[in-house]
Amino acid sequence: MADEAELRALVLKGLAGDEAAHRAFLTEAAALLRAFFRNRLRSRPEDAEDLVQETLVALHTRRDSYDPQYPLTAWMYAIARYRLIDFLRRAGRRNHASLDGIDVGEVDPVYEATDAKHDVSVLLGQLPEKQRKAIQLVKLEEKSVRDAAAETGLTESDIKISIHRGLKTLMRLMAGEGAA
Amino acid sequence: MKTDKLIDMLSRGVEPAEKPRWKRKLAITLLVGLVVGAVLVTIGLGVRPDIGAARMPVMWKTLFSAAAAVVILPLALQLMRPGRPLGWRIGAVVIFFALCALATIVALMGEMPERRWEAWMGGAAFPWCVVLIPVIAAPTAALLVWLLRAFAPTRLTMTGAAIGALSGGVGAMAYAMYCPTDSVAFVTTWYSLAIAVCAALGALIVSKFLRW
Repeated sequence: MADEAELRALVLKGLAGDEAAHRAFLTEAAALLRAFFRNRLRSRPEDAEDLVQETLVALHTRRDSYDPQYPLTAWMYAIARYRLIDFLRRAGRRNHASLDGIDVGEVDPVYEATDAKHDVSVLLGQLPEKQRKAIQLVKLEEKSVRDAAAETGLTESDIKISIHRGLKTLMRLMAGEGAA
Repeated sequence: MKTDKLIDMLSRGVEPAEKPRWKRKLAITLLVGLVVGAVLVTIGLGVRPDIGAARMPVMWKTLFSAAAAVVILPLALQLMRPGRPLGWRIGAVVIFFALCALATIVALMGEMPERRWEAWMGGAAFPWCVVLIPVIAAPTAALLVWLLRAFAPTRLTMTGAAIGALSGGVGAMAYAMYCPTDSVAFVTTWYSLAIAVCAALGALIVSKFLRW
């Protein structure tokens, strides 16, 4: 697994727009985060994977909050810890609401390690149309921002902003907000 | 969706990140908050009628409040982003308010014993600034919450307290235009306490709006 210096180098390249480096960082981060969340949620590996995905989106959408003069792992784990605390708070409220234990649910023995409970592709459908379309075209259909702009009649910066906002909204949906 | 696919989606076509310019945005927000606070004071309370003659006390009370805001600022800025060390920034706030306590004691010692109570309370039955400063600080706090949607605070209670205190300092700057009491001990005690009230309200209320 990558250490502080390697991760930091990847993030800095990613911030400069290097797609491969950004992907490599998120992949390394996913492995570290998986270990982090599984350690803290031993009995619920599926929740751990939810949190891994949620945190990856958070790391991506808030990546400009990283300042190179501070340690990268401190930044990453601060966000991970915050997602965990937010999750536990939500879980606490849910359990409060259903004292009869409806929430417990059975554990699937053939549960696949990197599958999260919530399905991001379904959640994408709940985004506002403009944000959903922008993410769909650029992030899933692999079109360039320019092509997506031409297809939707929006400006390129509009597409970029919609993607960014859409991913932020997505993280909130993953965290179970607005899905009531 | 599998995590690998999510990573693909996130990294596809990633663009160079824009420089966030936190400090400039924060400076603009605080300035707007100060103007709104000043308007509130002018409309709601009225500028003190002797403001011409009382230039010096108004000035030093404004400077005192500004100093409090400046001392809290580095701490607030660190808390707004994830994983930043706080270190000396907490120490600075503690030292500032310790000096306030010291100044209060020194100023009161300088008064005749029978005048101490009056100097401390400013001759009023109740130091209303403890209530009014938080009210005037509220718009600044709201603006800061709005600004923080683009930030990523991870310690919400502490961030809420820092934002509250920072707004309190800005609110106190505006309040100084109205405040009729000029004794040193009054300001170092009750302005500080008003800022502490803002910090407490921030920890309790503002923090709820910082979730992301």
